[in-house]
Amino acid sequence: MRSGATRWTSRRNAIAGATVLATATALGFAAMAPQATPPPEATDLADGLPPPVAPAFRPGAPRRLASTRHLSHWAPVERSAPVRAAPDSGARLLTMLSPWTPERTRNIVTVLEHRLDAAGPTWVRVALAMLPNGSTGWVRRSALGGYGTVETQLVVDLRSLRATLYRRGQPILHAPVGVGSERWPTPRGTYYVRSKLTRYRSPSYGPLAFGTSARSPAATGWPAGRFVGIHGTDRPDLLPGRISHGCIRMRNADILALERHMPVGTPITIH
Amino acid sequence: MTAPRMQDVDRDGALTEAVAELYGCDRAGFIRKATLGSVGMLAILAAPSAVAAGVTDTDILNFGLRFERLQATFYTQAEELGTVAAMRADKQDWARTLGAHERAHVKILKQVLGRRAEGRPFFDFGEATQSDAAFTRTAVAMEDLTVALLTGVVPKVQNRGLTSALFGLLTVEARHAAWARSIVGTNPAPSAFDEPRSLQSVSGAVDRTRFIARPPRTAGRTRPGFSG
Repeated sequence: MRSGATRWTSRRNAIAGATVLATATALGFAAMAPQATPPPEATDLADGLPPPVAPAFRPGAPRRLASTRHLSHWAPVERSAPVRAAPDSGARLLTMLSPWTPERTRNIVTVLEHRLDAAGPTWVRVALAMLPNGSTGWVRRSALGGYGTVETQLVVDLRSLRATLYRRGQPILHAPVGVGSERWPTPRGTYYVRSKLTRYRSPSYGPLAFGTSARSPAATGWPAGRFVGIHGTDRPDLLPGRISHGCIRMRNADILALERHMPVGTPITIH
Repeated sequence: MTAPRMQDVDRDGALTEAVAELYGCDRAGFIRKATLGSVGMLAILAAPSAVAAGVTDTDILNFGLRFERLQATFYTQAEELGTVAAMRADKQDWARTLGAHERAHVKILKQVLGRRAEGRPFFDFGEATQSDAAFTRTAVAMEDLTVALLTGVVPKVQNRGLTSALFGLLTVEARHAAWARSIVGTNPAPSAFDEPRSLQSVSGAVDRTRFIARPPRTAGRTRPGFSG
C-alpha cells in the first residue's frame, strides 16, 4: 500500500516537473531549463507530451513615464459654464464659457491646474480666449470633457518673422511668416490652437487655417471676435513680412506641413 | 497611516457602479463585499454567456487593446496631472508600476494587430484621475474587471499561440488586481475561483462608465473670420 502511494507521488512529481519545464520553455525562459532538469523517468513522460505552444508574442520591458515637462493638457467645453476669478462658486464672474467657437467647432481650453475640495466640486484653472489676452479663470471640472494631451509647442518670433514647431522640446519645423503690421500688431503672449478649418472657399486664407485663443486688441470691426488665426495665403510673395491685420500667415506648403504635426490644443508662444 | 478602505475612497465611482451592476449587486453591495473581503466579488458572477458567433480573434484582441488603452491612459493621465505624485510612497510605486505595465500591454497588442488595430478612442475620466480617492477606487474596479474579462475571453481565442501569450497578460493583471485590493486594505484574493465574464458583458460595463467618449469636433469647414 505504502509503496503504491510512493510510486503515485513520484509519478505526480514527475508530471509536475515536466509541466513546469514545458511551461518555462513555452514562455521563453530558456535560462530556467538547466535548473529544472527532470529525473530520468520524467523525461520519458515528457516525451509523450505534445510540444508546448509557442506564445504569439512576448511583452517587452515596461517603461516608466518619461518627463512630463513638455506636455500640455486641454479639454473640450461640454456645456456653458461660468468662469470665476477663484475656485469658489461665490467668486467674481469673469465670463461665460461657451461650448462652441465662432466657427462652430467645439470650444476647448488649456488646462493649467486643478483644485480639489473634499466637500465640493473640483475646479480647474483654464486659459481663456478673451481680452485681455492671457486671461485665466476657474471653471468646474464637470463643465469640461476628457483631457487631451499634446507634446508640441509653436513659437512665433515677431522679430525674425519665423515660426518654429517643437515636439518634446525639439524643433521639427521652421517656416517664414507674415505677421501684423505696425497698425494692427500680432499680440505677444501665450495662447493655444483652438480649431482647424479646411475646405472653405477663401483663397486669401489658403487651404487651411488654425483658430487660436489670441485676440487682436487693435483690429476692430472684424467679424467673429477679432481672433488671430494661423493660415495660408494667396500672396506668398509678401512673406516674410509685417503685412497682416494680426494673423500669422504662412506659405501654403508650410501650413499643410504644420497640419501634419500640430494638433489642436498645441500651446503657442508669440514673442 | 491607515490604508484607505473602499468606502472611504468613493467619490466618483463611475466604473465601480458599472462593475457592481455587472456583478449583479448594487453599488453598496459591491463596496461591502470588496471591503469585507468575506464574499468574493468574482465568485458571485453569473455564468459567462457564450461569445456571439462570428467574434474573431481580431475582434477579441481589438477589444483587449481598447481596454488596455483605457487603463494605460487612466494611469498615465493620473501621473501627468500630478495625482500620483501626491500619493503616499507605496501607492506611488503601485500606480507607476501598473501604468508602465499597461502601456507595455498596449504596445504589444498594437504590434500583434498591426494594420488591423483600431484607432485610439477619446477618453473622459472626469474627476477619476484627479483625486487620490477617486483614482484608487477606479483602479481597483478596473483591475478586477480586467481579470474577469481575460478569464472569459482567452479560452475563446482560436489561435493557440495567442492563447498562450494572453495567459501571460492574464496572470499579470491578476497580480495587479491583488495589489490594488491590498493597497486599499481589502482581501487580495477574496475567492477561491475567479469566474469569467463574456466580452459583451464587460463591454457593456465599460460603456456604462462613459469613460470612452465621442471625440470633440475641433475641425470645421466654416470660412474663417479671423483678423486676417
